[in-house]
Amino acid sequence: MNADQPDFLAGLRLADIDLVMHPSLTPESGEQVLEILEKFRAKAVKLDILAVEGAIYLGPESTVPHFTFHGRPIRDWVAELAGAAESVVAIGTCASFGGIPAAGSNPLRATGLQFLRKEEGGLLGRDYTSGSGLPVVNVAGCPAHPDWILQTLMFVAQSRLKSEDLDRYHRPQVFYSKLAHHACPRNEYYEFKASAVAYSQQGCLFENLGCKATRCESDCNERLWLGRTGSCTRGGFPCVSCTSPEFPDGFAPYFTTEKIGDIPTTLPLDVPKAWYVGISGMSKLACPVRLRANAVSFKKVDTTEP
Amino acid sequence: MERVKTLTVSPLNRVEGDLELKVDIRDGRVTRAFSSGVMFRGLERLLLRRDPLDALVFTCRVCGVCSISHSSAASLALRSAFGTAMPPNACFMRNAALAAESLLSHLGGFYTSFLVDFTNKHYAQRAWYAQAAAQFTCLNGSSYVRAVKARKNFLAFLGLFVGKWPNTLALQPGGVTKAMTFSELGRARGVLIELRDFVEQQLLGCRLERFLELESGDDLRKWLEKDAHHNSDFGLYLRAADDIGLESLGKGPKRLLCCSAYESPDGSALYKSGYLDRAPKPFQLPKIAEDTGHSFFAGKGGPEHSLMETTEPDADKKGAYSWVKAPRYGGKVVEVGPFARLVINRNPLIIDFLENSGSNVHTRVLARVYEIPLLLRSVEDWISRIDPEEPFHMPHGKAGNAQGIGLIEAPRGILGHWVNIENSRIKSYQIVTPTAWNMSPRDSEGNPGAVEQALIGTPVEDEQNPIEIGHVVRSFDPCLFCSVH
Repeated sequence: MNADQPDFLAGLRLADIDLVMHPSLTPESGEQVLEILEKFRAKAVKLDILAVEGAIYLGPESTVPHFTFHGRPIRDWVAELAGAAESVVAIGTCASFGGIPAAGSNPLRATGLQFLRKEEGGLLGRDYTSGSGLPVVNVAGCPAHPDWILQTLMFVAQSRLKSEDLDRYHRPQVFYSKLAHHACPRNEYYEFKASAVAYSQQGCLFENLGCKATRCESDCNERLWLGRTGSCTRGGFPCVSCTSPEFPDGFAPYFTTEKIGDIPTTLPLDVPKAWYVGISGMSKLACPVRLRANAVSFKKVDTTEP
Repeated sequence: MERVKTLTVSPLNRVEGDLELKVDIRDGRVTRAFSSGVMFRGLERLLLRRDPLDALVFTCRVCGVCSISHSSAASLALRSAFGTAMPPNACFMRNAALAAESLLSHLGGFYTSFLVDFTNKHYAQRAWYAQAAAQFTCLNGSSYVRAVKARKNFLAFLGLFVGKWPNTLALQPGGVTKAMTFSELGRARGVLIELRDFVEQQLLGCRLERFLELESGDDLRKWLEKDAHHNSDFGLYLRAADDIGLESLGKGPKRLLCCSAYESPDGSALYKSGYLDRAPKPFQLPKIAEDTGHSFFAGKGGPEHSLMETTEPDADKKGAYSWVKAPRYGGKVVEVGPFARLVINRNPLIIDFLENSGSNVHTRVLARVYEIPLLLRSVEDWISRIDPEEPFHMPHGKAGNAQGIGLIEAPRGILGHWVNIENSRIKSYQIVTPTAWNMSPRDSEGNPGAVEQALIGTPVEDEQNPIEIGHVVRSFDPCLFCSVH
């Protein structure tokens, strides 16, 4: 519903997608929904795309499951419908990798459809492929960008997505081969290590405030969110790398940067470590006064020197 | 002997989250109802032993519809635990963002959840049906499509204010992370005026100010006589609602609760707190407790105060039928939401309806729609008070051992976060959501929750198509994702 260019209704129309059942959108309730799902399960009607949101609970061992639909565990419904589907798309980091429900000791054994964090397997197993021959396509993100969701559904509906278009975590490369850091408006500050020390300041959020955008595989700052107006770092808060299989536990602490000496332990993915260590000290020394002053101010500061 | 039939509606679609309803029907009327959240999520348990600030990352993810609401409650709970203040700008930004989320939610609740039921074939013979079908049909009715577009266009407002939504981290204990420039404020005003246009031209057929002048049912009836009002989406709603008799459906528990919300730096607030049980009474925080008598949780059964409470799932518990707990106020079942807010704050129009027909399907929808112009006007006011030259954030301290409470009004009603910090780690975290208040199961005394009570007496003409049940439930605009957090 938050999609733009194309918006949600136009996207469905462009890809000729008929939305058969969606919990918050389609009119059917109760038995009518059950009938639709039973027909798909029995393969009486072809299920072109099964899109799943949310982690799946494999456990805990208990006579009453923690998530049911008509008395049966949701994991069984999803597994059976996945067996009948031409394509399966996991929407969001939970359905892709387990996400927040799988944080900590994961007592409910929450998992993604075909991955648990970085490990292949999940609910359906590493060898699963849908009717189209593709594995589960993971549209990661917490939340996933509406473009990523809608355009993936459009590619899949038109059979234009091939397995070589997916990355190592089965995400469509077209959305996940950049870093969230690319096109961040704070990049000039980043280059000179002119860093904010508190929120609402203009400087880079990486050195002190925990930003993981240099480790987050997404195109957030190029694509932009909400009518192309915002992103996490444009909103002034650190990226938590929510498109990663290791979100959330792999990226804590979220609001401070852990360091050894002066060097952050969360170094950028796109720069060799030695280069970073060598150049960051130099660039800090070369930082213009203009950036040094503005990095720690919430509003523009005019300086006489550049 | 009279026949009692049990009807299970699962899923009840077009509500947020997974809801299963079981109702007993005798002589065509509901005699008993059981409302079940069929999923456990355990967000509160995931937070145990974590850094208190992790609550900002985790709790906004309780729900994609009420995400800023949870951010507001979590940042307020932490602010009270840390003993920090925030600058005036941050206060106005928080109010604007929270109201923007309510506007998005109310538009969705009205157009994509509630009105779609008017296009149900059950009403095919009604005079207004053809018009309703043309305008309100799911995914392609003319008003539905325009509302989806207006809603989508308005998202830019949140992009400018909080960067990303849902799941923004812009609201912090010390204020907001985003400093606004004059240019950004100008853009936000532009986006807001486009939403004003939609509400005036499509939803109401009149100026916001004209609509907010209405003070009684008579006023509203006279208002409806004018063509532009009559033909607006809300005009069509009023005519259909009257014909169906929505005012006689879904009587609430007669007790209403709301907390202080949308506070300004001078201490004034758009909504003051209060409790109504026949007469208005002051709101008393310690009266809020959660009962787990019929919920799948271990516990002593009776009400437990939220700072003491735990969330220990017990899926095998005898007599339990929901993953939603049962919040109670002084042991009583209460209703929360826009209707409660407007009654407790003595809004003349809503008070007139309260006195004539109480809380019911129609008055709940009316209050929700009434909040749209009310909040829009307030947002215009708050953003005019933001001063780009003044700070938006101040550093907050840390707390080794402290307790914090954050109560706010989310789109669907009162939302509370309770945090207990010990040795700089979260010792306990409890969330009490609006939909838990409204859609709770029975408590240990056997008192049915608000929606379970509201369903009693509901006529069901066609058991294959129990549309009346849909009206009652959707009038509460339930969010099950939140309530099974």
